[in-house]
Amino acid sequence: MATGSSQIEDFGQVSRTVGTIFRYLILAATLFGIVVLAALLVYVANDALQPATADPGWYLTFFLTLVAPTALVGWAVHRRGPAAFTFGSFLVGLLVVSLMFSGGVGLLVVDVVPPLVGFSFAIAIAVPTAISVFLTRYSHRIGFTSRLSATAFVFYLSLFGLPGPIGSPIGVPQVVPSLARAIQSIPVIPVDWMMVGTVLGGIGGAVVGSYVAGVRDARTGLVAGGLAFAATLVSAVVGPFVGLNPVPSTVLTAVTVLPTATYAWRGAFTEERRPAGLGFAAVVVGGALVGAAATSTLGFAGPQSWVDWQFLTSAHSGSAENAGLYPAIGGSILLMATVAALSFPIGVGAAVYLEEYAPDNRLTRFVDVNISNLAGVPSVVYGLLGLGVFVTYLGQAAGTVIVGGATLALLILPIVIISSREAIRSVPSNMRQASYGMGATRWQTVKNVILPEAFPGILTGTILALGRAIGETAPLIMIAAPNVVFSLPTALESKVSAMPLQVYAWSSLFASEDFYTKAVPAGVVVLLAVLLAMNSIAIVLRNRFERTG
Amino acid sequence: MTRDSNQTRRFSRRKFIAASGGLGVAGLAGCTQSNTGGGSTAESTDGSYGGSGDSTDDGSDGGSGSLSGDINIAGSSTVFPLATAMAERFQSQHEGVDVSLQSTGSGGGFANYFCSGQTDFNNASRPIQPEEEDQCANNDIEPVEVKVATDALTVIVNNDNDWIGEGLTVEQLRELWSAESQPETWADVNADWPDEPLELYGPSEASGTFDYFIEAILGEEGPSHRQDYSPTEQDRTIIQGVNGSEYAMGYLGFAYYSENQDTVQAVPVENDEGNYVEPSLDTALSGEYNPLSRPLFTYPKVSALQEDHIAEFARFWLENSTDRAIVADEVGYVPLSDEEQSTMLSRLEEAAGSN
Repeated sequence: MATGSSQIEDFGQVSRTVGTIFRYLILAATLFGIVVLAALLVYVANDALQPATADPGWYLTFFLTLVAPTALVGWAVHRRGPAAFTFGSFLVGLLVVSLMFSGGVGLLVVDVVPPLVGFSFAIAIAVPTAISVFLTRYSHRIGFTSRLSATAFVFYLSLFGLPGPIGSPIGVPQVVPSLARAIQSIPVIPVDWMMVGTVLGGIGGAVVGSYVAGVRDARTGLVAGGLAFAATLVSAVVGPFVGLNPVPSTVLTAVTVLPTATYAWRGAFTEERRPAGLGFAAVVVGGALVGAAATSTLGFAGPQSWVDWQFLTSAHSGSAENAGLYPAIGGSILLMATVAALSFPIGVGAAVYLEEYAPDNRLTRFVDVNISNLAGVPSVVYGLLGLGVFVTYLGQAAGTVIVGGATLALLILPIVIISSREAIRSVPSNMRQASYGMGATRWQTVKNVILPEAFPGILTGTILALGRAIGETAPLIMIAAPNVVFSLPTALESKVSAMPLQVYAWSSLFASEDFYTKAVPAGVVVLLAVLLAMNSIAIVLRNRFERTG
Repeated sequence: MTRDSNQTRRFSRRKFIAASGGLGVAGLAGCTQSNTGGGSTAESTDGSYGGSGDSTDDGSDGGSGSLSGDINIAGSSTVFPLATAMAERFQSQHEGVDVSLQSTGSGGGFANYFCSGQTDFNNASRPIQPEEEDQCANNDIEPVEVKVATDALTVIVNNDNDWIGEGLTVEQLRELWSAESQPETWADVNADWPDEPLELYGPSEASGTFDYFIEAILGEEGPSHRQDYSPTEQDRTIIQGVNGSEYAMGYLGFAYYSENQDTVQAVPVENDEGNYVEPSLDTALSGEYNPLSRPLFTYPKVSALQEDHIAEFARFWLENSTDRAIVADEVGYVPLSDEEQSTMLSRLEEAAGSN
């Protein structure tokens, strides 16, 4: 026991004032950063969107068609049931976010991956996948090892042909072409929208089908998947009648309409039964459309926003009015795809090893501490690492998609590992014990219990980490990514610019004042919008995760 | 039950399937196109493992028709806006060519990118230096000097500066910027000027503007450039620095000044005839504005010029280098004269035709 020499004589002077002051001081501390950031964002958004340039009639029209009905209906729906209101807001949010994503996918489909290449690779992946599923399901007599090698061989043959990349360094000529290349060499091919529609509709149909099958039963899922696939193809035919080209309309259907419709169906017509939310969403969307139509017929000019269609779809130009962000947006998307493809498997693998397999010894603790430290290393240091390792040592060309993606992947790898470990750790240990108790091996436990349970958490962490990577400028400058490019990168080895880099270039390299005061804020607004769209997915996933877990 | 009912129908299920299948095939056949661009597009995405037979196919595809390929440009921040303007126009004519531009400073571009073989062009606001030529030669890179415009290096002061009078002499500039005298206040240079600390902004050592200022003002043999100024590779920072302080001074390329004429004022500099001349396109073209008007260059490498799309871009740049609308009005430099243009074009053709 302690000596106990100090005694509490009394509580001193009792005053509520100190407590109150303290309370508001910490409230101020909480709000300080948010308020400062909000002020900056308002300032930037004002420069970019120029709301003051709009006709008062424009505001009035949108107030009457959009704001007032939304407020009224929203209030009514919320009174009847907050859940329906939440569902309706989520539906609108999903529509907006998925519209942005369809823009990104459309960019990839139209300008980066030629339809034939995407189509052939989709088939080259789908065929061996089907074969391996068939083998696994119907051929129990084949031993595991031979089944594994057969599956691997089929995949290799389909993607690379024989002898493929193994043979080319030693000069063996290509004997059997890969399935992908064989398809690419067929002289007569389907038109572009059919290939794009088949691939996107197939993916969309599979996702919708499995989701619906989870909600209802397998038969409904099959029907829904088939409907989704058909809808994607049909949209290509319908698209031209409403002023859309076939390829963009398939993209729009697969990426925007399918998820939104599925979510609307689930919320409104399944056991949850919240059709009021559907009404609310319809009022918001309908109000926006009516408002847009009304302003264009009445001739009210909207704000002279710098973030417009032209800004989003054109490349840099010598005059700020014609300058756009398109190559940088595409570059950022491709960089993020590369980063995700590189950091996700490595990061999750490392997390699973450290949480489930690693013994508690000095080496593990050493690795532990260092991963935490690496998460805090400044990004410019990672840029230097990328320059040193990939460009100087491995001799890759500087500033390419693959070098930029690999550097950014290194940058976020520690964050991915740490957040994946958190997610894995939060899987209740009695689930593990139950799995072991049923005689499952460690691999089966990881595969069937831990990863499915931890997956939303892992995905959340990865998306937030990608959100950090998309805003990074310093590593890209270090690996000598170009300040200005005029077209999208079409291969992993082509030069890439990114949104933050383009904003940086505009802010410093061009003399015209308009670049500095208009194009830069507009670029910042687009960058933030993309970032928020990504983060919104992470937030939704996390909320679901917390509710179920 | 279904079988019974089927048998009673006039069309069996088999016939229905056959008919709809036939219709489907006919429909699909209507929706086909001939595979033209497949080979060349496939090459860029999965060419890494393609066998030898494939690559010859793709080569013949790429050779015919329009130009395609990458062009990498780095170097001087002064030439950067001009190169960007040219690349923008070139790219709008040749969809298949990807131009990427980077602003690194003349010296930085030579040392880190061009002479190590990473870029096809290096822009420079001063001629290449012997040690840079040595470095390039070590890597078997042969640069070709192509003049693309003339710049008027501009000395700027704050708008509130009223003591500078009709201008500065070269001697005063030398004293202001030399490492030997290092005046702390304006009064140290001229007793009539205010006794206030001097704030200096200029380009960093990687910049060709810095090199040219040394050559023209301080002299090759003269005192070295003072180090206690605020160096930057971003010309906007110089403008902002000078705009922000009454007692500031800086120097930079004319293009940035010409876009910001209300923000700062340019200082007339005494020329070799003893007149104080303000920097402008006209005075630089007539040669009146000296010694601070200077040629701007781009250095393509000879090996890159053997490729069609790169040679074509170099040609395009030179053909437009006499265009006042691009070079003078949009970017703010002095266009080449027709005579200079034909000299440069013939030098280019000679280099492109070698090997």
